[in-house]
Amino acid sequence: MNTAPAIGQPTTTPAGHWRNYFRFLARVAWESFDGNWTFYVWMTVLTAVALVGANAWAVQVRDGLALTHMNDHVSWGLYIANFTFLVGLAAGGVMMVIPAYLYHDEEMHHVVIIGELLAIAAIVMCLMFVVADLGRPDRFWHLLPGLGRFNFPVSMLTWDVIVLNVYLLLNLHICGYLLYMRFLGRPANPRWYVPFVFVSIVWAISIHTVTAFLYCGLGGRPFWNTALLAPRFLASAFVSGPAFIIVAIHVIRRVVGGDFASGPVRTLVNIMRVTILINLLMVVSEVFTEFYTGGAHTSSARYLYFGLHGHNALVPWIWTSLAMTVAAAALLLRPGVTGHPVLLISACALAFAGIWIEKGMGLIVPGFVPSTLHEMVEYQPSLIEWKITAGIWAVGLMIYTLALKVAMNVFPPAGAQTPLGVPAASWPRSPVSVADGR
Amino acid sequence: MACALLTIGAGLAWAVGRELAAARSGDAPASGPMVAGTNHPVIIGRPAGPPTVLAGFTDHQGDPVQVTCGACHTTTQPNLAIRSGEQLEQFHQGLHYAHGSLSCLSCHNAEDYDTLRLADGSPVEFGDVMQLCGQCHGPQLRDYERGLHGGMTGYWDLTRGPRSRHNCITCHDPHAPAYPLVHPVFPPRDRVAAGVHP
Amino acid sequence: METRPDLPEPRRGLSRRGLLKGFGATLGLAAFAKAIAPLTEWAPTVSLDEFLQKHYLELSPVDLEIILRRLERETREQYGTDVTIADHRAPAGVKFGYALNLSICNGCRRCAEACHLENNHDRPSHQSYIRVFEMQKGSLDLEKGNVHYDHPVPQPDKFYLPVQCQQCERPPCVEVCPVEATWKEPDGIVVVDYNWCIGCRYCQAACPYHARRFNWTKPQIPATEINPDQSYLSNRIRPQGTMEKCHFCLHRTRNGRLPACLEACPTGARVFGNLLDPDSEIRQVLAHKRVFVLKEELGLRPQFFYFFDV
Repeated sequence: MNTAPAIGQPTTTPAGHWRNYFRFLARVAWESFDGNWTFYVWMTVLTAVALVGANAWAVQVRDGLALTHMNDHVSWGLYIANFTFLVGLAAGGVMMVIPAYLYHDEEMHHVVIIGELLAIAAIVMCLMFVVADLGRPDRFWHLLPGLGRFNFPVSMLTWDVIVLNVYLLLNLHICGYLLYMRFLGRPANPRWYVPFVFVSIVWAISIHTVTAFLYCGLGGRPFWNTALLAPRFLASAFVSGPAFIIVAIHVIRRVVGGDFASGPVRTLVNIMRVTILINLLMVVSEVFTEFYTGGAHTSSARYLYFGLHGHNALVPWIWTSLAMTVAAAALLLRPGVTGHPVLLISACALAFAGIWIEKGMGLIVPGFVPSTLHEMVEYQPSLIEWKITAGIWAVGLMIYTLALKVAMNVFPPAGAQTPLGVPAASWPRSPVSVADGR
Repeated sequence: MACALLTIGAGLAWAVGRELAAARSGDAPASGPMVAGTNHPVIIGRPAGPPTVLAGFTDHQGDPVQVTCGACHTTTQPNLAIRSGEQLEQFHQGLHYAHGSLSCLSCHNAEDYDTLRLADGSPVEFGDVMQLCGQCHGPQLRDYERGLHGGMTGYWDLTRGPRSRHNCITCHDPHAPAYPLVHPVFPPRDRVAAGVHP
Repeated sequence: METRPDLPEPRRGLSRRGLLKGFGATLGLAAFAKAIAPLTEWAPTVSLDEFLQKHYLELSPVDLEIILRRLERETREQYGTDVTIADHRAPAGVKFGYALNLSICNGCRRCAEACHLENNHDRPSHQSYIRVFEMQKGSLDLEKGNVHYDHPVPQPDKFYLPVQCQQCERPPCVEVCPVEATWKEPDGIVVVDYNWCIGCRYCQAACPYHARRFNWTKPQIPATEINPDQSYLSNRIRPQGTMEKCHFCLHRTRNGRLPACLEACPTGARVFGNLLDPDSEIRQVLAHKRVFVLKEELGLRPQFFYFFDV
C-alpha cells in the first residue's frame, strides 16, 4: 500500500519530506556498515581505539583530572593542544571552497565536499576535546544561553562556542542539503547552499581568529600576548588543512582508482607553497622579536627553543617541528612534485606533523612554562591523556571515513573504476550532470 | 529621665565589666582606645611588672623562690664598669646580650631596679616598656600605633569585636631583640608529573 | 513501500553478511557499555539537585537554605563530620584591602599553613592559596625567586614575598569565565560558585598571579581536621573538578574578623582592613608607606599592596 509519492517526484507535503529524510538517513546508516574488507578492518581498528579512549575518559571523569599530568602551573595540555590544532584543520578545510566559489575553479567544485566534510569531522573532534578537558562535563548546560549563564560578549570562550557550533551547522547544512538533494534525485537549488558557502568562507577565518583571541588577549601570558598570534594560526591552518586533504585525496584514489582530482591537488599544492612560506616567515618574526628584545617576557621562548634553568623537554620537539616544516616547504617548492605521490605525501605528512607539534608543544605548553610567577614546572602528557586523544582522533577519522564514503557514492569521482562499497548506480541519478548539480 | 539614667548606668556597668573581664585574662592587660558604647577594645598585652629570677633555693613548701630585681639590687652598688651581659660574673650568667652598643644601665634604672629609665633618667614602669623602646625605635612605635607593626588577632572591624595586640617584648627579647631564625613550614608539594622535577 | 527500479532488490531473509554485521554491532555496543562503565560509579556522586542547581546569584533565600542543608548533609556523608555552611553577604560600605610588609616577612610560611587549615584544603598536596617566594635582595625578578626553600629563615641576603589572589579591580579571571562562575563582589572579593564552575580552567590561564587553584581530584581531609565553620562562597569543601582561590577568608572578614593568614603571621607583616574607612590600618599603609603592586603594568589594579619599612 503506497501513499507516499515516489522518490524523485517533487514532494509538496511536509510529511513527504519527513518520510524521505528518514529514508535518506537509513540509507546513510546502511552505507556506513557496508564495504569491502579494508573498510571493515579500518573501521574495526578505529572502533577499538575509540573504545579505549571512551574508557579512559570515563575513568578520568570518575577519578578526576589528577590522572592527567596537568597541574596548577601547566593547566592546559594535550587536549587543548589538539583542540587548537583541529580548529585550524577545520578552518583549512575551507581552502578548497575559495578557489571553487570565488575563482570558479570547475574541477575543484566537484571535490569541495571533501574539505567541508573534513570541517565537520574536525569540529566534532574539537567539541570532544573540549568536553574531555572539562573538570565537570556534567555541567555543560551551564554554557547554554538562556538555561545557564553565558558570559557573552566579554569571554572569548563564549565567542568560540558560538562560532564553532555555527560553523558545524553551516557545513552540516551545506553537505547534508547537497547529499539529500542527490538522494532525492533533484537538482540542488543554489539559493539553499551558495549563500551558506560564502558565509562559511568568512566563518572559517573567524573560527581560527576567535580561537587565537582566546590566547592572545591574556596579558598575564606574554608568550601568547602577541598580535601575530591570529595570523600565525591562520597561516598554519592553511598549511595543515590542504595537507590533510591532499593525503585524503590520495587515499580516495587508492580506493576508487584513477587520477581523481589531479587539478584540485595542483591548486592545493600551489596554495600550500605560499602558506607554508608565510608560516615560516611568521615563525622567524616571532623568534626575532623574542630573542632580540630579551627580558622576562621572553622566558617562555627561551625555554621552548633553548631550555631554561636546566629544563629543556620541549627543545627537541620545536626544532624537529621547524625541520619538518622546512623540509616540507623544500619538497613542495620542487617543481613537478604533484607528479610524485610519494614525495607529495611525504611533504604533506611532514607539514601536518610539523604544524601539529608547533601548535601543541610549540604554543600551548610554553605559554605555561615558566608560570606567571616564573616557576618552572614541565609537562608531559600521561597515558590517559594519550588514550583519550587517540580515541577522539579515531572517532573523527571514523566520521570522516563514513562521510567520504557516502559522498563518494553520491558524487562518484570522474573516472572511478571501483566504487567504494555499494555500486554508485544504486543512488538515484538526477537528469542533470554532476557538475550542474552543484 | 529615669530611662536615660538606667541606660547610662547599664552602659557603664557593661564597660566596667569588659575592663574586668580583660583584666582577668592574661597578665594585667590594659584596654586601649575605646569609644564608649560603639567600639570594642584593643587589648594590648603588657608585662605585669618587673621580671623575676630564680633565687636558687626553694621555700618551706618546696617551690623555687623567685625574687624581683630589688631584692638584691637595693643592697648592692651598681657597677658602672659592666657594659654588657658577657661581663656579668656573679649573677645573670648566660644572659644572651646583643643590643648594639647599649649598656645595661641604658635601660635599667640604677636608682630603682624595679623600674626602667628613659633617656632623661626618669623612671618608667616595666609595664610601660613600649615607651622606652620607642625612644630609639620611633619609626617602629609609630607604625605600631598605626596598626602596621606587631600584628594582631581578633577583629579588623572594632564595631563588631575586640582585638588583641602584642607589646614590643612579646616578640623581641629586650636583651637580644633581633628576630631569631626559624625553620619554615615545609614547602608546597606541587602536583607535577612523576620524574619531572618542579 | 515502493522500491525504485534501479535500486538492487532488497535481500529477503538474513544473509551471512547481515548476520555478521548484526553480531558486530551488538558486540560493539556491548563493548561501548563496558568501556564507559566507570561513569556509573561517578554518577551517584552527583545528585540530581546538584545537577539542576542554579547560579548563586539567582538563588532565592529559600533555595539557598535548602542547598546549604543539602551540602552539609553531603559533607557528612562524604567526609564523616558535621559542619555548618552559612552564607556571608558583603557588608555595605566596605572595600577590602590587604598589605604586606616585605621588611618584616621572614618567610616562615605560617600564613600558608593557616590558610591550609582554615580553608579545608586537600591534605596530600598541602595545598594553600599562598605561595611564599624567597627573593634575591635588590631585585624583584620572580625568575630568581624560589618557592621550595627549606632552610632556616630569614637568610641575610634574601627577602620573602608571599603571593596570593590580588582581588584585582579588573580581574581577568572574571572576564574570561564562560559561565560567570566567578565574579567580583561589592566588597572587592573575587569569589567562585563551586557548584556552577564547569572546570574549563580558562581563569587559571588568564590569572597573572597564579592565584587560582583547581581541584584535580576530590579533596582528601581527615574528619578530625575539617574546619566546621564553613561558608558557601569560601571554605566549604570544594567538589572535584572545580576552581577555587583565596577569598580573603570572607567567612571571617565579612563578620569583622581578621583573615587566618594575618592572625598566624608571627612577625606582624600583614595588614588588612576596609579601604573605604580613612582611619583603617590599611589606609595608614597607603598614606604613609611607599607601596607597590605586582605587575602593575597589566592595568588590573590589584588590591594587595606590598611595602618596605623605609
